[in-house]
Amino acid sequence: MKDKPGYVQVKRRTGAMRIIHWVNVISMIAAIITGLYIAAPYYQALIADPAVDKYVMAWNRWVHFIVAIIFDVTSIIVFYLTFFSRVDRPWGKVIPNKQNLSEFVEVLLNLLTLNRRKKFNSEHNDSFNITFFFIFHFLMIWMLLTGLQMYVHGLESGISSIGAWWPWMLHLVTDWTLPVSSWMVGSTATGANIMDVRIAHHTTMWLLITWVVFHIYYQFWRTIFWKEGDISIIVGGSKYVKIKEDEEA
Amino acid sequence: MSIDKEESVKKLFTAESAQVDTNKGDAYYDELYISCQKRIEELKKLKPLNNRVDFTESIEDQGLERRDFLKWASATTAMLMLPASFTPLVAEAAVLMNRVPVIWVELSDCAGNSEALLRSDGPKIDEIILDIISLEFHETLQAASGHQAEKQMDEAMEHFKGKYLLFVEGAVPLGMNGQFGTIGAKGETFVDHLHRAAEGAAAVVAVGSCATYGGIPAAAPNPTDSVGVMDVVKGKPIINIPACPANPSNMVGVILHFVLTGTIPELDSLLRPKFAFGYRIHDNCERRAHFDAGEYVEEWGDEGAKNNFCLYKVGCKGPMTFNNCSIIRYNEGVNWPIGVGRGCIGCSEPDFWDKYAYERPMSNANIKAPTGGVEKTVDEFGLGLLTAAGIGIGIHAAASAVAGKREDGGEY
Repeated sequence: MKDKPGYVQVKRRTGAMRIIHWVNVISMIAAIITGLYIAAPYYQALIADPAVDKYVMAWNRWVHFIVAIIFDVTSIIVFYLTFFSRVDRPWGKVIPNKQNLSEFVEVLLNLLTLNRRKKFNSEHNDSFNITFFFIFHFLMIWMLLTGLQMYVHGLESGISSIGAWWPWMLHLVTDWTLPVSSWMVGSTATGANIMDVRIAHHTTMWLLITWVVFHIYYQFWRTIFWKEGDISIIVGGSKYVKIKEDEEA
Repeated sequence: MSIDKEESVKKLFTAESAQVDTNKGDAYYDELYISCQKRIEELKKLKPLNNRVDFTESIEDQGLERRDFLKWASATTAMLMLPASFTPLVAEAAVLMNRVPVIWVELSDCAGNSEALLRSDGPKIDEIILDIISLEFHETLQAASGHQAEKQMDEAMEHFKGKYLLFVEGAVPLGMNGQFGTIGAKGETFVDHLHRAAEGAAAVVAVGSCATYGGIPAAAPNPTDSVGVMDVVKGKPIINIPACPANPSNMVGVILHFVLTGTIPELDSLLRPKFAFGYRIHDNCERRAHFDAGEYVEEWGDEGAKNNFCLYKVGCKGPMTFNNCSIIRYNEGVNWPIGVGRGCIGCSEPDFWDKYAYERPMSNANIKAPTGGVEKTVDEFGLGLLTAAGIGIGIHAAASAVAGKREDGGEY
């Protein structure tokens, strides 16, 4: 690919990373559509059909769990890439050291001053955006664990199609979400309550939707204001950064 | 880290859910069989307490046959998650239930659990068994009152110290030093009453959701600071039999288990016996197919309701509720809430009145104002809005003061 004059191409995302991103986007939309149906079925099945011909809630639950499991697996890959990617290893940017904190403030000021102040390197991921993604991953992990906790409640017999180890492991890994959810919901009742996990799971969905709204807005904003083609990172894999005049010489 | 915090961290990482181990292997059951046999032999040597009616006689008096009793015994054996070989032992234990003294106290409650076992259409075996247990003290049922009643309770507690099962019905109000509820001629508070009764008990059985979690008295805003028995009584084995009312079959199950094995049944993290609360209502619901098909009752009495569609959209909480009523039902299998066409209100789960019983799916449950009351919400919202406006005005005024000095303009 030929470089735009005056700009240099910066490789940011490999093909695998971009595929994961769009798989996650589709999974998330599917999870929200089906999740809202599971929470409160918002459309009616055709009454005239006999029950054997429709399987509406079951399909919704099936899709919801399938995309959740896809999300689980991509999360593991993303977690791996966070530390071992050849292109971008963003974990260093969430450590609250002096350099990252000042970069965080600078990027925030850049947004608040509507790009009238830009004193940081925008080639690679900055600590503001990485912190923002960290929040996303934190919410996602919470979502996955509370979801699996509710899931394993339906496997109360302790057996599953892939063996007894699976519900056993789910209990081991997710049971702590019960008291934590109760604490978050502010439950005064004695004992951990599966309904609190539900409330936490449902509320976190809205936090994630809020996150997505800002994420889309901010990436569009960067593309429009910075004019560095940021949106193409997740489509074409790279962005363009203007060569500073002193470097050009 | 204080002890409280350490305890809560420990709790956090050892929280258990409703896992049920229904088959513990032959070796375990063989050993259990022998120990149960021994215990029954010992109990046989004891005389029935007081002059309790004989079980076999009262069964015949009620017009039931021994065959009915044996059918009941095998069903109960299955309910207790014991192998079929235990059926004769269970039958023997039922006959011996008048050897175990029971003291029943009532606190903040509606006596609904007592009613549940008294007001059935005709006494069934579960109810007869509850008739013949050695009920040494029961405020609602006994004839004695006032000082006489207290004397009776004192005597029973003294006589059967360390041996009796204490059944508690109702929540424990802790507000105002427990003065929200007093009992007896001396005006003893409920919490003191419970402590005194629990001290000499072999085990405490909390019957109904109020005694288990605080239930209705503990519903928001919980003016009396009501809590469940397990928040008050420490250092005693506690068995919770929640539900509103608790199913008499499960009460009998717990007593039978105690008579048979001398121990309390295996409990889940909420101290509920797993034999009764290890099942999700949803999984054994006769309307489950309609749930999967997406066929829901949209409003009471509609075409869906007439066709026994799923009650999820009118707030059924079966998918989140653990209880065996979809299997054993109430009143010896006559019927249960979903069978009569109304959703489960999750009455065996903590905080059920606030979090389950609102007849809508959880995400549509917009009954309670978020902060606990209409006026409170409005007041706090108003104050918050005013504060935000004040801060905004302050920032604007300060910014204006700074900007005003550069009226020939900034850089742009």
